[in-house]
Amino acid sequence: MNITLTLNGLHTTLECEPFDTLMVVLRRQGLVSVRYGSDTGETGASAVLIDGQLINTDCMLAAQADGHDVVTIESFNEPELHPIQAAFAATGAMQSGYSTPASILGTWALLQDNPSPSEDEIRDMLSGILDRETAYTKPVEAILRAAAVLRGETTEPFGPLVLTPMTDGRNPVDVDPDDPRPIASAAIPRLIPSRDVPEMFVVGKPEVKVDALRLVKGNAAFTDDFEDRGQLIGKVLRSPHAHANIIEIDDGAAVALPGVRAVLHYKNTPRIKYASGGQSWPNPHPHDQVSFDTKVRHVGDRVAAVAADTAEIADEALRLIDVTYEVLPAVFDELEAMLDGAPVIHDEDDTTEIHDRNRNIVHHIGAERGDVDVGFAEADRVFEHTYRVHQVQPVPIENHISVAWLDPDERMVVRTATQVPFHTRRMLAPLIGMEIKDVRIIKPRIGGGFGAKQEMLIEDIAAHLARATRLPVKVELNREEEFMSSRTRHPQTLTYKTGVNKDGTLVAQELRIIGNTGPYGTHAYTVQTVSGLRGLTSYNCPNKKFDCDVVYTNIPVPGAYRGYGAPQAEFALEAHMEDIAHELGMDPIEFKRKNWVVVGSELDIAPHLGERSVEEGEMEEYPKVLSSGIEECVAQGKRAAEWHRTLDPVWTTPADRPNIRRGLGFAFCMHGTAIPFLDMGGCSIKINDDGSFNMLIGATDLGTGADTVIGQIAAEVLGVRLEDIKVYSSDTDMTPFDTGAYASSTTYISGTAAKLAAEKVRVRIKERAAMLLDVEEPCTIELRDRRAWAPDGSSVSLEEIALDSLHWQDQEQIMDTASYVSPECPPPFAAQFAEVEVDVETGQVTVVKLVMAVDCGVAINPVTASGQVEGGMIQALGYAHCEEYAYDESGRMLNASLGPYKIYRADEMPETEVYLVQTMEDSGPFGAKAVAEIPKDGVAPAIRNAILHATGARIDDLPFTPERVFNALTQQG
Amino acid sequence: MPSVLAYHRPGSLNEAATLLSDPNTRAIGGGTVVVPDARIARETGVELVDLQDLGLAEVTVSGDVTSIGAMARLGDVSRDDRLPALLREVARRELPSALRNQATFGGTVALADPDSVLLAGLLAHGATVNLHDTDPVALADLLAAGVGDRIVTSVTVETAGIGSVAVTGRTPADVPIVAAVARRSNTGIALALTGVADVPVLVDPANPTQGLNPAGDFRGSAEYRLHVAAVLAARAVSEVSS
Repeated sequence: MNITLTLNGLHTTLECEPFDTLMVVLRRQGLVSVRYGSDTGETGASAVLIDGQLINTDCMLAAQADGHDVVTIESFNEPELHPIQAAFAATGAMQSGYSTPASILGTWALLQDNPSPSEDEIRDMLSGILDRETAYTKPVEAILRAAAVLRGETTEPFGPLVLTPMTDGRNPVDVDPDDPRPIASAAIPRLIPSRDVPEMFVVGKPEVKVDALRLVKGNAAFTDDFEDRGQLIGKVLRSPHAHANIIEIDDGAAVALPGVRAVLHYKNTPRIKYASGGQSWPNPHPHDQVSFDTKVRHVGDRVAAVAADTAEIADEALRLIDVTYEVLPAVFDELEAMLDGAPVIHDEDDTTEIHDRNRNIVHHIGAERGDVDVGFAEADRVFEHTYRVHQVQPVPIENHISVAWLDPDERMVVRTATQVPFHTRRMLAPLIGMEIKDVRIIKPRIGGGFGAKQEMLIEDIAAHLARATRLPVKVELNREEEFMSSRTRHPQTLTYKTGVNKDGTLVAQELRIIGNTGPYGTHAYTVQTVSGLRGLTSYNCPNKKFDCDVVYTNIPVPGAYRGYGAPQAEFALEAHMEDIAHELGMDPIEFKRKNWVVVGSELDIAPHLGERSVEEGEMEEYPKVLSSGIEECVAQGKRAAEWHRTLDPVWTTPADRPNIRRGLGFAFCMHGTAIPFLDMGGCSIKINDDGSFNMLIGATDLGTGADTVIGQIAAEVLGVRLEDIKVYSSDTDMTPFDTGAYASSTTYISGTAAKLAAEKVRVRIKERAAMLLDVEEPCTIELRDRRAWAPDGSSVSLEEIALDSLHWQDQEQIMDTASYVSPECPPPFAAQFAEVEVDVETGQVTVVKLVMAVDCGVAINPVTASGQVEGGMIQALGYAHCEEYAYDESGRMLNASLGPYKIYRADEMPETEVYLVQTMEDSGPFGAKAVAEIPKDGVAPAIRNAILHATGARIDDLPFTPERVFNALTQQG
Repeated sequence: MPSVLAYHRPGSLNEAATLLSDPNTRAIGGGTVVVPDARIARETGVELVDLQDLGLAEVTVSGDVTSIGAMARLGDVSRDDRLPALLREVARRELPSALRNQATFGGTVALADPDSVLLAGLLAHGATVNLHDTDPVALADLLAAGVGDRIVTSVTVETAGIGSVAVTGRTPADVPIVAAVARRSNTGIALALTGVADVPVLVDPANPTQGLNPAGDFRGSAEYRLHVAAVLAARAVSEVSS
């Protein structure tokens, strides 16, 4: 059928099928700013303006738009940015930018009707566009600024609010209740400088992201935005059963369907064992997966895959595959899975190195320092508490997507939304029977990952289909598949046992964890190891023990999710410590402070719980904390959270709202920065004719701003502006190796590699400058303002140096490469505060405010760093408050869509404030430590402790949904 | 087989009624629920009948009675300051922005979602549903019976009095687990609840949970829903009574 519409101002006739959505038809026209997040309008990524109103195109037929006026962001496509686009860029309002076109269009429509919208009106407009990254604070700020500009007003440049330190950097202070908290827009990071940090030109500045232009314009950026002639659609048949043997697959009808190009399953795909977690070589055992197995182990597990000319034919082909299952008993709970008689989930004989196959225990992990039994015997008091944490999803708005094809040399190329291109290349090659050198992985921009994409999840399927068809094949998960077959956080049952002396000093601490890894190991060993590491590192204690079993079950597969084992452990730890403080009659912050690690503290269990764990006695010297801004964090956070109200009954029990109790909670947070001796990043830099530089990095910017931050580091070294560094990441054929975006490593590891590469290039530039300036000692030359300066004040531009070196005399390409691996893992620290209101008649908890004060060393870019904290806090808020996988008895997920699975939207966010407390971490590039994951650690325990403060109820399982809280209040009486 | 076999956009109600008399057709208002359902969930194709050209989007205010056209968008109604604040508010909070600009009143009635606070709001405002070619039906009766192949043309509500809504959800903008909407007018107090039956229901303000037998789910067990229904009913009634 044909439809006629006004498309971006042009009268247009388009051909479509009755079943085509408007999104599909617009994308077919090359309007790639219209992005897929779901089929139901639940994400808003596909929204455009229809007759001037923001409308989702994924849940609308193209035919419905016949006769209407349709506007996409491509209509703004002028060389200059529209003021709304400029405001989004300037404020860091997009991280991945996947849904930014929809937000900008919605803003345009809003401002047409209402040039001076209130914040509530802006948030209402944004309510239909889910954002997992920014916590909406910076988009709201961008829209307020854009409105002001369009009204003809001027706005101040966007940057941090610089505050005076409240402490001497080491010692606690009493916070004066009359000292007013700093007032500024929530989007503005509060920056507390350290006098140990020297003034710099590019580092520490709120530079605009290097990919801002393409993101705010909606230009082609993501995996699905590029044309592949003849591209087929790949789709996956998924198991309806939680646990079953596949007795037979009959694909005859599917193969015979016109337009079907390949049908793959266990009968025609080599059985090669692997583990899908994107990790360094060698991937931890057991390798318990194959591309297509004879057994399914969770609802949503792979059964078969098809490639067909269209999505509709592929869907029909899936329906025509006849599978005969032998349904087996299933088990979902990690404690039940360990019992005698539980179904054995991996009974195949080609999966080896399962710790105790018959009890479904895939790993046993243990570590001890000192002797906890002696410690418990010596302690004045011993406390033991058990906690249960649940299963949640990273929910990137861009689902997993891979496009695979054979290039003209018949090498396999996979353009894919991955955090780990180099691991994927190495892991994929054997599965498809090719050598690593014949596999190329291209990572374009990624629409959020958060760990879910630290996985070779579907690349093998796309590549198998591309090999079978010799045509490009796209495999893209839908939202339900993303829930059922992507990766989640590990549920755990955690028991802490702690011995304490009367004065509050810890004597012994034991953490026992039963972790649930679903049916596949992937990240099981490392996530649970990190739980032990993070759960036993925050507080000094002479005797520590970690004891952990990781268990197979039939739930959808847990894996990497931002925080990586720490959010589970730090929830339990901060709840446990809070409760001990109450039992001892001590102020919780004072009790924690008495024990938390400080500069000089030994991180004594860390080497025993690393990826290359060592035994006691093998270490001559333990790593130590070298920088900590925690006291400044606590002081700033207390003032911002108005902590003095904890003691004010008029505030906690408002007279005019008899069903409401208010509370404040605190959590101490500590994370790591990269995996020492393992995470490696590489960088190469070359100079161009105009004195600019190409920088190639294997690091994987997921929207975090990594490309920008690493570019700033290089620019600082080379004395140029950020715009002079053209950053490219990442492509396994082009860029140096990098382990990938995980473990809070990118700024620290890849950033240091960039700093080293830039320093090597700088040496060469100085040598050339010395020649041109007739200076004897090149080391006396300085680079700044795009010039090389001699001590006598004479100078030569980098352009002149480049032209001279490339074209004129002793020609050479000034270019160098460096890589970095760190022996250190400097911990960032944070103080997390939460304010809640509890409706004691219904159990509904309303989170009013979250304040996080973070010591991430030197924030290379305070805007992107604060964006990491804001986005991390909103994800952590969902973990604490409203997100959970719900199942029926057969293991089918009941809420595999956004809405029933509840993530926060713009019009319901608590107030957030971010404080960046500078410290100088000498091991990091220009003083930087990590910031990406620590915001995930403290929100759940801070809310839990705030509920405790408000109501006296201790809730030891997540999330704090109304009935769970109500039951706790009822039990408490 | 394609999921959507054909798309129709009839120009008259009679034409639409003829199309919809075929059991293989379904009507769409905004289409936000039916289109994904047809495209993804169904194994057999359907033909969709788009009602956008039938002139059903008007909102007509006549004294204390307002008629809201079946094709009126929730977003438009939420911004229509001729309507009572409570109705506008429940239209606004029914869906996030972009979906609200697509979804229609007729579609909301036809869907009969048990968690729809908008439907509870309409119930509390004495809503009557006007149908093509048949007599108007009280909304409560229509929700119980289902729309079937009839075409909703408009919803008529009484707008006098004052209203209040009380909700409990996981987050402030969550679809409430349970909601209570009360309205006080000359004829007394009307009270409607969501989350306690197969569809939103009108209940006795003096005894709001009597006879209810909700199905529990992961967001709230049956017992919890009954408890919260009683609490929220009391709050909503108290607010309109004071």
